[in-house]
Amino acid sequence: MLKVENIDVYYDKIHAIKDLSFQVKKGEVVTLIGANGAGKTTILKTISKLLTPTQGNIFFEDKPLNKLTADQMVYLGMAHVPEGRRVFAQMSVEENLQMGAYIRKDKDNIKKDMERVFGYFPRLKERINQPAGTLSGGEQQMLAMGRALMSKPKLLLMDEPSMGLAPILVQEIFNIIQTIKKTGTTILLVEQNANQALQVADRAYVLETGKIIKEGDAKTMLNDDSIKKAYLGG
Amino acid sequence: MVLFLQQLINGLSVGSIYALIALGYTMVYGIIKLINFAHGEIMMAGAYFAFLIAVSTNLPFVAVMLISMVLAAVLGVVIERVAYKPLRNAPRISLLITAIGMSLFLQNLALVIFRADPKIMPTLIAKHPINIGPIQVGTVTLTTLVLSIIFMVILDVFVKKTKPGKAMRAVSEDKDAALLMGINVDKTISLTFAIGSALGALGGVLYGITYTQVYPTMGILPGLKAFIAAVLGGIGLIPGAVLGGFAVGMVETISKAYLPTQWTDAIVFGILIVVLLIKPTGILGKNEKEKV
Ligand SMILES: Nc1ncnc2c1ncn2[C@@H]1O[C@H](COP(=O)(O)OP(=O)(O)O)[C@@H](O)[C@H]1O
Ligand SMILES: [Mg+2]
Repeated sequence: MLKVENIDVYYDKIHAIKDLSFQVKKGEVVTLIGANGAGKTTILKTISKLLTPTQGNIFFEDKPLNKLTADQMVYLGMAHVPEGRRVFAQMSVEENLQMGAYIRKDKDNIKKDMERVFGYFPRLKERINQPAGTLSGGEQQMLAMGRALMSKPKLLLMDEPSMGLAPILVQEIFNIIQTIKKTGTTILLVEQNANQALQVADRAYVLETGKIIKEGDAKTMLNDDSIKKAYLGG
Repeated sequence: MVLFLQQLINGLSVGSIYALIALGYTMVYGIIKLINFAHGEIMMAGAYFAFLIAVSTNLPFVAVMLISMVLAAVLGVVIERVAYKPLRNAPRISLLITAIGMSLFLQNLALVIFRADPKIMPTLIAKHPINIGPIQVGTVTLTTLVLSIIFMVILDVFVKKTKPGKAMRAVSEDKDAALLMGINVDKTISLTFAIGSALGALGGVLYGITYTQVYPTMGILPGLKAFIAAVLGGIGLIPGAVLGGFAVGMVETISKAYLPTQWTDAIVFGILIVVLLIKPTGILGKNEKEKV
């Protein structure tokens, strides 16, 4: 479904991503794990065209993305839950979800999908008219995920959904990711929380300073000693 | 008391013009963080458009007004596309200087085309006094106030309830997040310029009718006052522009009625300085810290 081929990404002179390739197949949950600064966010932003690679190609369902712009990605069926949630703080919870469905015209189904999101995150429904900026960090993460789901994506890109959340909320968020996985949505999940990410994922790539240093089955990696040492706290 | 009420209505009417112009400043600032110094000239262009249509056709006032607004909207979008869009990733100061340059360019263009001498705005609104109890209000004053309020209500509904209006708010909050929603940011910015310019032109048409004159530098002072109004209310905030506009109009009119006129501008600027000292983000502005 998603194929990244030999991309290089620079911030001016900083070579953030180096000749990197990986792919995500339909129906899979793939995780990219790596420490802070490894390049995880850069990769997701490059896939959604917020950044442009200097080299290499990205294909979504075999279509090359190089001529397209960021606002066209969601039309193809991609949705991106950005790092730091990036909800529209002054807009209400409901309006944020409506923005997630911005490209859709099927009003009745939008209503139904909003109910589905509220099914995942009942707390959002209680705060439907509240400005998103007044939500707690965990609620904002739920809203950012709900907003992405409102476009009915085929591929969901998630950038550190557990960042800065209390352990109980992290668990709640990962339970929902598990539920979304069961609906057949393909997911590319980027995480520092390798333990949780590997538990939900089918396959994993390990990223270090802009390069993939390891790849494989997620469950195998959970038991891999070197991974345990570096990313799972021993 | 009667004089005071009279001045109150005049103040509201002048204030509504400032509010209309201030909306353009604040909307553009909200979406690209630019103080569009050429906005006063859009207002002037709006007045000239109305003048030209009025002297060359027999169209009724409402038609003249609407056509002028549309033409100014087109002008605003052209300016944005030609002068501001190429600088979107340039330092903010470059953009600001371009806006000042655009303002001077438009003033001088008007000077070349129309000459410096003021043109008399045809009587687009029949003038006769209306008595409301003991107070007498002119038709122009009343029309200005009513029209301004109508367009402010339309704007409010547009921004709060419609899809492009919500997209506009989304873009002004977070462009990247808006892109991820599939919102065309360039189009949304152009739409903001179009609406801001149309409202500014409406202000210009009403200003031209109120003072019966149209001239190339007519945008400078009301533009400046409207800018003050926008800052006073809280730049970037639509209700702030409306509040600030009415406040500036009111202070100006009432101080004119009771004090020597030379004091007026000093008082308006003085209030701005005091408000900003107490509340740097303006009356409605929030001193928000971003949530991490
Ligand atoms: N806007 C930026 N400008 C310059 N360098 C950046 C920028 N964003 C990220 N980087 C650098 O690129 C590298 C990868 O960053 P990032 O993709 O954010 O990592 P991660 O998401 O894995 O923490 C880091 O070295 C970081 O310092
Ligand atoms: Mg990151």
